[in-house]
Amino acid sequence: MTPHTRPDSPAGDAVEIVRVRKEFGAAVGVADVSLTVGRGEFITLLGPSGCGKSTLLGMIAGFVTPTAGKIIVDGVDLTEVEPYRRDIGMVFQSYALFPHMNVFDNVAFGLKMRRLPKAQIEAEVRRAIEMMKLTGMESRRVRQLSGGQQQRVALARAIVIRPKVLLLDEPLSALDKNLRAQMQVELSDLHRKTGLTTIFVTHDQGEALSLSDRIVVMNRGEVQQVATPIELYRTPANGFVASFIGEINALPKARYERAGEMAALVLPGVGRLTAPARAQWSFNDGAEVQAFLRPEQVRPALPGEAGANLLTGTVAAHIYQGSHTITRVEVPGIGLVETRVTGAEIISAHPVGTPITLSLDIGEAVLIAA
Amino acid sequence: MTQRRPFFITFLAPAVLTAVILVAAMFEVLQYSVRAFIPGALDVGGFTLDNFTRINRPIYWWVMLDTFYISFLTAIFSLLLSYPVAFALVRARRDWVRSLLVSLSITPLFTGEIVRTFSWMLMLGSDGFINSMLRKLSLIDMPLQIMYTRFGVVVALVQFSMPVMIILLATAISHVDRDCEKAAANLGASPGAVFWHVTLPLTLPGILSGIVVVFAWTMSAFSTPQLIGGGKVLMIANLAYLQGFSVLNLPFAATLSLIALVSALGSLVLMKSATSRIEKRLAIA
Repeated sequence: MTPHTRPDSPAGDAVEIVRVRKEFGAAVGVADVSLTVGRGEFITLLGPSGCGKSTLLGMIAGFVTPTAGKIIVDGVDLTEVEPYRRDIGMVFQSYALFPHMNVFDNVAFGLKMRRLPKAQIEAEVRRAIEMMKLTGMESRRVRQLSGGQQQRVALARAIVIRPKVLLLDEPLSALDKNLRAQMQVELSDLHRKTGLTTIFVTHDQGEALSLSDRIVVMNRGEVQQVATPIELYRTPANGFVASFIGEINALPKARYERAGEMAALVLPGVGRLTAPARAQWSFNDGAEVQAFLRPEQVRPALPGEAGANLLTGTVAAHIYQGSHTITRVEVPGIGLVETRVTGAEIISAHPVGTPITLSLDIGEAVLIAA
Repeated sequence: MTQRRPFFITFLAPAVLTAVILVAAMFEVLQYSVRAFIPGALDVGGFTLDNFTRINRPIYWWVMLDTFYISFLTAIFSLLLSYPVAFALVRARRDWVRSLLVSLSITPLFTGEIVRTFSWMLMLGSDGFINSMLRKLSLIDMPLQIMYTRFGVVVALVQFSMPVMIILLATAISHVDRDCEKAAANLGASPGAVFWHVTLPLTLPGILSGIVVVFAWTMSAFSTPQLIGGGKVLMIANLAYLQGFSVLNLPFAATLSLIALVSALGSLVLMKSATSRIEKRLAIA
C-alpha cells in the first residue's frame, strides 16, 4: 500500500496552532495555546478530563469555533472554514459509525461525498478495509461488530479520504484492557504505514508514552509541557507534569543548598538529603524547591548501609504486581513514600507495620522550584 | 416460603374494569351488526347477514376510500409540517425558543376537538378570516370554497394531529447521535447532505410511527369532518352516525363501525409490518 502522504502537500509544518483561545461564557476552556505539529508526526494531547484537550481537537476539526487565534493546516488558515471543507479525518470516542449503513458504506461515505467515480471509490474502500483487516465484513451491519472491529471501521473511514491530518479523540477508551494494548500496536503500525500527521487525544499516560513522537501535557486549558515521552518522564517541567506522567513521590518543600560539587535538600524536621549537583539544578542557594522521585529511585536500604539519604519509616502496604512489588512506607515528616522493587521478597522481609529504612537516589530526582 | 402478591395488582383493577366494559360494548356492536333492521323501530329483528351484503355498494366503498385517502393526506401533511417544528424544538440553541415551541405545539392538545374545529370554521368560512383577508388584499373577487371540502377537512385534521406528530418526531430527533452528524460533516458532507444521509434515515422510525399513529387516529375522526365537511365530506364515522342517528338503522351503523374498526386495524398491521421491514433494512429498530 502506498503511503497516504498527499502529493500536493507543501513543505513545512502540517498544523500550526497560533494562540488559540476558547472561552465558554466566563470559563476558559483553552487558554492561548500555540503548537506546531510536524508533517507525519504523531503528537498526543494528554491531560485530565476538562483540561481542554478535546476542545482543542474540536477546534482543529472545526466543530468548535475559537474565541481567538488561528488554526493553520498545510499553510492554509482554516479558522473560518466549515468542518466539511477541511479534509481532516477524525475518529470519535464513540466511533460515531452510521448505524444505518454497512461497513462498506460507512467507509465509502467520505469518498461518496467527494463525488469520486464509483470504480475508484470501490478500489479505495477495498484497500482501506484490507489495511484495517476488515476484509469479508463489508456487508456487515456495524451493530454486529465487536468493539475492536468498530474501531477499525472508524479508522478505515477516516483514512480513506486521505486527510491532511488524522484526529483521534480517545479512541481506545471504550475498549477492554487487552484489546487496548493490541489496538495501540495497530495504531502505531497504521501511523508508520500511512505516514499521516496524527493528533491523538487521551487521558491515559501509558498510551501517550507508548505511541507518541511528542506529548503535549495540558491542564486547565494551558499547555504544561511539550516534549518527547522520554524527556517528559525524565525531566518534567513542573509538579503537575511530574505527578501526571507515571508514578512519582512528591517530597515536601525543601531548601536548596549548594556546596561546591554537592547539593543538599534541607527538609525541615527530616534532615538533609545530598547528591552531586546536576547542571539543570540552577537554583540559587537557599531557594525553595520540591523534589520528585520515581518509585524505582527509592529502594530498601541494605543491612548496615550508612549514608546521607536514608529515611526510616513504617511499612503501610505492599502492592504485589507479579514482576515487581510496590511498597508504601509511612515516613514521619514526609508522608507516604512508594518504593518499587523487583520480585516479592520485600513482602516477607518487611511485613506491614514493621520499620523499614529506605535509600533515596536524590541524584536522579527531579527538582522543581516551589 | 409464601409468595407475596405484587402491590400493584390492586391498582390494575380500574384498567381491567374498563377493558371488560369496552370488550362487552364491542360484542354488543358485533351483535347488532348481524341483526335485521326494522324501519321505524329502535328494536332490532332476528339474525341476518344482510348488513354485510349491503356494504358491497359503490357509495359505501367510496366513503371507505375517501376515509383512507383523507387519513393518508393528513398523515403526510402533518409529517411535512411537523418535522421542521420538531427539529427546531430539539435543536434550538436558546432555551426560550425551545420552551416557546414546546408550549405552542402542546397547547392545542388541551383545547377540545369541538373548540378547535369551530375555530377552523371561523377561519375557513366564506366570510371567514382567510377569505376576508384575501378579499381585502384584492387577491380574489369571489370567496374561495374551503368549508365543506376535503381540503378544508384535511387542513383541520392536520392541525389536530400535529401535536402528536411533533412529540413523536421530537423524540426520534433527540435520539440521533450528534457525533454521527459530526462524523458525516468531518467526512465532507455539507449540512444538507448530513441531514439527507444521516439525520433523516436515523429519524425514520419516528417518521414511520408518526405516520401510523396519525393515520389510525384520523381514520376514526368524527367531529372535524362532521362540522367542516358538513355532510359533503363523509368519513366512515360520519356515515355510521348518519345511519345510526338519522336513519336510526342501528344494525347497519354497527356493521359500518365494525368495518371501520377492522380496516383501521388491518391497515395498522400492514403499516406496522412495512415499517418493521424498512427499519430492519436500515438496521435502526
